[in-house]
Amino acid sequence: MAEPESGQSAFLTLIGARTVEKREDLFRVSLLLEERHTNPNGVMHGGVMTSLMDEAVGGVIAYARGLDVMRAAPHSTVDMNVSFLSAARAGDELIVEARPIKVGRSVAFAEAEARRGDGTLVGKGRFTFVIVAPRP
Amino acid sequence: MTDDLMLRVPFVHSLGPVLEERRRGYARMSLETASRHAAQDGKLHGGVLTTLMDSTLAIALRELRGAGASRHSSVEMNATFLVPVVPGQRIVIEGRITHVEPAVAFGEADATLRDTGEVVAKARVTFAIQQDGA
Repeated sequence: MAEPESGQSAFLTLIGARTVEKREDLFRVSLLLEERHTNPNGVMHGGVMTSLMDEAVGGVIAYARGLDVMRAAPHSTVDMNVSFLSAARAGDELIVEARPIKVGRSVAFAEAEARRGDGTLVGKGRFTFVIVAPRP
Repeated sequence: MTDDLMLRVPFVHSLGPVLEERRRGYARMSLETASRHAAQDGKLHGGVLTTLMDSTLAIALRELRGAGASRHSSVEMNATFLVPVVPGQRIVIEGRITHVEPAVAFGEADATLRDTGEVVAKARVTFAIQQDGA
């Protein structure tokens, strides 16, 4: 889950990524990949992409629900399914876009796409959130 | 503590995990979670868990296939987050390879709290295995 009005998570900052667009229908997170983001195969570690996706989908659901509503009844990721479609390397820009699929009263769904700067699709993810009951 | 190529990857190294055990088809890591691993709500960021579950399974598969084997890469991951983790708690990630074919392998990972053994996240990962000569 994210509270995007205060910026971004400590973990996203640790990675070196930044949230560049925040709307109720779209969140965009960007990262210029460095050698430190690669795995022993020399390509982007999958955890980098899943981290950016989780951040972006949490943010877009927060905006779609409304920040006041979200504060009263926070949402949390409970399930994610991510496909790793193409490799990305140091020097590539990785752009993750997240969009809400459906926001209900107790559950929400969102999807994310990750692309390299040249537009190549690198990964796709679908995320499910639970919304906890409003605080009395 | 066990050294491993995966733990020398700067991104994984920056998280601070300890590889406790690795053998054919199995690996176990632990992590003392901290505020730098947090999401905006102060709980452990899901990306920390997915990174370590993916990494643990990649090590387990390499141990199974041998050091000279061709490359394998994650192509699909399904993770379920069961319980929020509060930074400061130590988590343990265990990865087990459940099935291997020449071109594909499957693994399952669990993340638990060290103190209580409570399962906080589970994942299934599918790996594609590079074919020799491909």
